[in-house]
Amino acid sequence: MKYMIMLTGSQRDFDMITGAGGSGWTPEDLAALHEFMTKWNNELVESGEFVDGQGLAAPVHTRRVSLRDGVPVVTDGPYAETQEVLAGYTIVECASFDRATEIAAKLADTPHPQSAQLANEWYVDVRPIAGAPEFGD
Amino acid sequence: MLDPSGEDLLRELAPQVLGALVRRYGHFDTAEDAVQEALLAAARQWPADGVPDNPRAWLIRVAARRLTDLLRADQARRGREDTVAAWPVPAPGPATDDSLVLLFMCCHPALSPASQIALTLRAVGGLTTAEVARAFLVPEDTMTRRITRAKKSIKDSGVPFGLPPADERSARLAAVLRVLYLIFNEGYVGTTGPTLARVELSAEAIRLARLVHRLLPGDAEATGLLALMVLTDARRAARTAPDGTPVPMAEQDRSRWNRSQIAEGVALVSAALPSGDPGPYQIQAAIAALHDEAERAEDTDWPQIALLYEVLLDHSDNPVVALNHAVAVAMVRGPEAGLALLDPLGADDRLAADHRWHTARAHLLERSGDLDAARAAYLTAAAKTMSPPQQRYLHTRAEYVRRARN
Repeated sequence: MKYMIMLTGSQRDFDMITGAGGSGWTPEDLAALHEFMTKWNNELVESGEFVDGQGLAAPVHTRRVSLRDGVPVVTDGPYAETQEVLAGYTIVECASFDRATEIAAKLADTPHPQSAQLANEWYVDVRPIAGAPEFGD
Repeated sequence: MLDPSGEDLLRELAPQVLGALVRRYGHFDTAEDAVQEALLAAARQWPADGVPDNPRAWLIRVAARRLTDLLRADQARRGREDTVAAWPVPAPGPATDDSLVLLFMCCHPALSPASQIALTLRAVGGLTTAEVARAFLVPEDTMTRRITRAKKSIKDSGVPFGLPPADERSARLAAVLRVLYLIFNEGYVGTTGPTLARVELSAEAIRLARLVHRLLPGDAEATGLLALMVLTDARRAARTAPDGTPVPMAEQDRSRWNRSQIAEGVALVSAALPSGDPGPYQIQAAIAALHDEAERAEDTDWPQIALLYEVLLDHSDNPVVALNHAVAVAMVRGPEAGLALLDPLGADDRLAADHRWHTARAHLLERSGDLDAARAAYLTAAAKTMSPPQQRYLHTRAEYVRRARN
């Protein structure tokens, strides 16, 4: 069974990390984050549970296509500064929902500088990926 | 698991085995699957049973048997009456030529660049589909389909197994070199995510470029491409800070550049250039060599580099080349001269949307002393790039010039 582990963040969180507005993360903080995520990813490759993982560009680069009077219109950067949106995901294939949750829970140790206040409380979501019923179901 | 030397051996033999099979039996698409299965069988059996005395013959035998099975199953499915004759194991053919033929096939113009790359890495590079998929961070199913589709296109196009006709040869070789260049580029740009079990694409591109150079030692552009890759890869260790931020060449720790790679690249490009009328890979290699040979950033031979970019401009209308030319001119004649060349390039929509144009402009404005404009350009560049480490670098620069101004 496959599960998607979804990491969220706001534009403000992205700005802290990329130094927009000057405040936030030092190169050492980022190196620690980088190392932590690589290790987390590599363990999943090693255990054979890794399927796919991608990080998304900052929310400001989002284009939203919606309908106005039945005509598609495009809005650039539709999110508010502090709105939590999908920032990246990892898809794992593992034995159970509990195992996927255990993998996701390891992210709670993600290093971040004391000074960096997240715009919102930290969380990560795990959702089963809907597929055809498994053989024997 | 096979040890690394065993894996190298398998991957070196992969195109030879496939070449021998296709030459003898045809059926490129099915033969390619059969060779993959033979490689997997070897990876399973050799560590336990030991590497056979003649590994190439072993692989050909196993792959040929598998090919027979696959073709029989195929024919049975189609309900044909005729049976497949029992095939003998083919005698070793001209191994080197086959690798070249395979490269031409995999880089056939009927295929999309993404398919050319995937097929080249599997059929000539001897990588498994899973490895190719992981290297490009796409799901394995997607890569399987891409490769299957690519093989079908080759089958449908009816290309015979052989070198392309003489009049197509140079265009087809250019396509091969382009595919290797793209593979190298993909590895150079680098991505986040797991590092484990990811094939180093730039190393793989260099390995394949070495193969082409060995097969066509007289081709100056093939030599130039290998030189370009080696000279660029030599700077790898100094290119990124531990936090993932890119380090511009002027600020790189040159003691971390790979001396032996530089020596090899310089020797290659020096050997290629005298053959006259250098192509774009040789020119780019010559530029890379001039950078690599400078002990300190300020020792760089910018007049020569500016001249080479001018020659390169005659070969392509690539706006990034024009951008690099402007930067080189600025190093020779000052930031104002560079800006005079750079600014008109912004009329090209491709460049106006590209953070590299804004970044180059910001650097030149900073050097010219126009710090307000420099800061604005750094911030615009930061807004254009999708890469967080790049954004971080640009914000740091913007902050630096803001402080310098006060």
